Amino acid sequence: MVTTTATTDKPTVSIPAGRVLILLDGSRLSLAALEAAAEIASARNAEVLGIFVEELNLLRTAGYGFAREVGGSSGLARPLEATVLQARMQALAEQARRSLQHAMARRGLVQTLKLCRGRVAEEVLNLMQPEDLVVLGRVGWSGIPGTRLGSTARALLRQAPGDVLLWAEPRPRRQNRVVVLLNHDQGANHRALRVGAELARRSNQPLSVLLRTSPEDDPSVAEDMLTFLQREGLAARVRRIPVASAGAAVRAMQEEGAAQLVVSRTCSLFADQGAEVLLSELNLPITVTP
Amino acid sequence: MAVPVALTVDQIYHRCPPEKLDFESTENLEDLELPLGQDRMLRALEFGASMAVSGFNLFVLGPTGAGKHQLVKQFLANHAAGKPVPSDWCHVFNFQHSGKPNAIELPPGDGRTFRDDMNDLISELKTAIPATFESEEYQSRIQELQEEVTRRQQKGLFAIKEEANANNIAMITTPAGFAFAPMRNGEVIEPEEYETFSDEEKQLVEAKVEDLQKKLQQAIQQVPRLRKEVRERIHQLNEEMVQLTLGGPIGELRGKWEHVPAVVTHLDSVCNDVVEHAEAFQDSETGAPGGLLNRYRVNLLVDNAETRGAPVVYEDLPTHQHLTGQIEHRAHQGNLYTDFTLVRAGSLHRANGGYLILDARRILTQPLAWESLKRVLFSGEIRIESLERLYGLATTVSQQPEPIPLNVKVVLLGDRMLYYLLSHYDPDFLDLFKVEADFEDDLDRDDGSYTLYARMIATMARASGLKVLDRAAVARVIEHASRLASDQKKLTAHDRVLKDLLAEADHWASQAGEDLISVEHVQQAIDEREYRASRIRERSLEQIRRGVMMIATEGSQVGQVNGLSVFQIGATRFGQPTRITATARPGKGQVVDIEREAKLGGPIHSKAVMILSRFLANRYAPMGELSLSASLAFEQSYGGVEGDSASVAETCVLLSAITGVPLRQSLAVTGSMNQHGEVQAVGGVNEKIEGFFNVCAQSAGVDGHGALLPASNVEHLMLNEQVREAVQDARFSIYPLSHIDQAIELLTGMEAGVAGADGVYPENTFNRRVADRLAEFAEVSRKKDDDGANGSGGNGGNNNSDD
Repeated sequence: MVTTTATTDKPTVSIPAGRVLILLDGSRLSLAALEAAAEIASARNAEVLGIFVEELNLLRTAGYGFAREVGGSSGLARPLEATVLQARMQALAEQARRSLQHAMARRGLVQTLKLCRGRVAEEVLNLMQPEDLVVLGRVGWSGIPGTRLGSTARALLRQAPGDVLLWAEPRPRRQNRVVVLLNHDQGANHRALRVGAELARRSNQPLSVLLRTSPEDDPSVAEDMLTFLQREGLAARVRRIPVASAGAAVRAMQEEGAAQLVVSRTCSLFADQGAEVLLSELNLPITVTP
Repeated sequence: MAVPVALTVDQIYHRCPPEKLDFESTENLEDLELPLGQDRMLRALEFGASMAVSGFNLFVLGPTGAGKHQLVKQFLANHAAGKPVPSDWCHVFNFQHSGKPNAIELPPGDGRTFRDDMNDLISELKTAIPATFESEEYQSRIQELQEEVTRRQQKGLFAIKEEANANNIAMITTPAGFAFAPMRNGEVIEPEEYETFSDEEKQLVEAKVEDLQKKLQQAIQQVPRLRKEVRERIHQLNEEMVQLTLGGPIGELRGKWEHVPAVVTHLDSVCNDVVEHAEAFQDSETGAPGGLLNRYRVNLLVDNAETRGAPVVYEDLPTHQHLTGQIEHRAHQGNLYTDFTLVRAGSLHRANGGYLILDARRILTQPLAWESLKRVLFSGEIRIESLERLYGLATTVSQQPEPIPLNVKVVLLGDRMLYYLLSHYDPDFLDLFKVEADFEDDLDRDDGSYTLYARMIATMARASGLKVLDRAAVARVIEHASRLASDQKKLTAHDRVLKDLLAEADHWASQAGEDLISVEHVQQAIDEREYRASRIRERSLEQIRRGVMMIATEGSQVGQVNGLSVFQIGATRFGQPTRITATARPGKGQVVDIEREAKLGGPIHSKAVMILSRFLANRYAPMGELSLSASLAFEQSYGGVEGDSASVAETCVLLSAITGVPLRQSLAVTGSMNQHGEVQAVGGVNEKIEGFFNVCAQSAGVDGHGALLPASNVEHLMLNEQVREAVQDARFSIYPLSHIDQAIELLTGMEAGVAGADGVYPENTFNRRVADRLAEFAEVSRKKDDDGANGSGGNGGNNNSDD
């Protein structure tokens, strides 16, 4: 394993011009994600678009006379009526609006709430531009207990044209690095690097780049990368790690002391079954770049 | 009967011959190891201290100031030095009954080690256990456990979801749970479209939905059970981890304390308790709560690490709490609370295995202390209970420490009166205090005792840091010791009085700038002491001198005699003459004791007057009627009169009143008399004679004066120097009496006379005059009776009418 370290003081990072999309569903984690999105938007001085989607499947289900809602905690079944559900959705939307206004007004940001009806992932994809960042909680409503990654999050991870930030509420830890995970052949993937650099600068944390490298790969890639980071004026280091299982990569990230993760979607990591789950089990905010 | 010869100066004072003292000064004398003349008491102490059977506690009785305390303490210290050091005792938390701390016995000195070991263990628990919980191993195992449970939960739900999807039914997440609806291509079918389904299809879908709902319900309702299971498994894991962490230190301690099984048992309990409370140790920020850790501490109740031999403890304030220990409370934000660490030992705990010295009077004056001591001695164990609990006043929850077995020898110190009162009135007393160690008040004065007594004086002087006494000074101290004992053949053993005398002599020697205490310093100490106490005596002498108190010391008087009495005020005694008068006239054989009639006379005095009246009747009217109405009084006596020491004087004055023969006022008389006229010993002869001597000296001088005392009192005489000088010069005479006739002859100057075989006394003798005079009285009475003029009840007991 080779480690190269660079420290320079030249802050010349370009600020992404896209909007910050925040997915609101009224769940606890989405409110936490809202705060994180507000922070990012404030740093980027970006426009904020709140998205509240009324799930079509749910509305349809409520239309069935025989439909019952089985409580997630109690297991008790009670009738699921369309009117009641509508009212609940409206209340949630109203709450989302208020939270959004509150979070953004404090920072003097422009915000809009977009109410849609349909499938969540589809609606978000429709609204999203490649330069946008979408922020969402890792999971939505309680759902299946212990779920680390909701279906919407999973869909967006795979398909979003822009960056996706899966927000998690990390336990307070000693780790304090922004870690970017890349394939060796993604050496020139400046999008992921740029996102990592921005995060590091904003949260005032050192940056680590983990490069999955085979022995026969060209070592100069790492040096180029370091040069790039030096140009960005960051306290950074680049480590090459062997191409092994997703679990090994995740452990390497843990060892590196990751507090936030940046992973490119094209990273070979995602070839592994369950890599997404492994990543989400780290319980760290993860930004996935296209 | 022959008049007795006056006593010589050697008879009235027992000198200490300097040749008996074979030393120059007390510097050359060795200390006495054991107190002098206290063999009986020492044997009792030795026996009591060695006797192992319970109930053989000691009561050391003797007058106050006899030096009981010091002697007992010294004796027991020597005795205890060779005995084994008793065990240490400590209280530890009782994990079964938190209010009843356990008691653990440890070899002496091990108590401290055990306490320190447990404190170290607590420090280790504070750091090692949180460290275990923070370890990667623990964290990953916890994660595994939680993941496993999550997996199991999810598995159930996923299975239902799969089943639903396989049946073209969607499992939709709602804000509060799940719902099922028919789907096609991953989308829920519009309800309107569903309406177009055939009834059969609808029935199938709805039945399936119903079935899925039930399964889902079941799966969700499994969750609490799963959670409980995970909690249990986490607890199990915690226990396992703590057990592993504790294994080292506890194992080490177990090995170290193998020889005390109670400690090993306690260590096991501690280990179990830590494991049980493993979660409380998890918080690495604040650590385990102090209350939890304090339970593992050791309250070292009795620490004998520094004790040599068996302990000898003196409790100067023997209250219930000080004896049996107490449970203290700590005030915290206005509340009082206690725990086993606040249990404090009492003197019984500290003396356990040794000796406890107590003042009997002090323990008896402390509420419940005596009862508590007896209860503890009876039960053979010390149980710590607060007074308010004993009284049943407090019912709050408190600590009830495990009683500690007791093996103590209690030594009570007290005066004799207390001992006899307790023996009489307290039924338990003799069961518990079977050994009486009685202090001797006096020592025998003989040739062998001089050196020992001198050594005792030397020891005392050295112990008190006083100057050395020369030989003559020691001799004077010995003589004074006889005077203090009021006996030529005894020496006082009273520790305090002797020590005070020596200290005072030392003071006067210092004042005089001398390095050595010599005879004049001892004498000065005696004189000064007497002078300091002489105010009342001087006042009394002044009253006599000014004639307020009428005492005649010259000439002769009918029906009047100088009796001698002793006054005791505080620690001083002094003697003084008292005028005793008598009247006599014909009557019914009555002798009226005016003191008794006025309720100023005590029973012994009354008894003496009755004896003398029977003596008169028997002696002078053996066959006829005693026709006498007489009275006796102590003139100018306004306090009470008690004792029989005036009966010789009373007899003489009464006989003078009957016969009209005057009595010499230059002599004073003391002595008691029996019904046969024999004179018996009395007390306070030295003070009495010196008192009369002083009265004579202040009026017309002592020449030709004297005192009469019972012959059996002669060996009690230790008279002062002034009296001795007067006796030496034959100016003042002291006569020993053995019979009343000797007193009559000395006081009247007449022959008393001995009755012949016919019971008639010779002519011109005193007794003949008595007999004749009484016969005249009888004659007069008879005439009166014959005249028949006295039908009015005759002479009653208190008939004193002057008709």
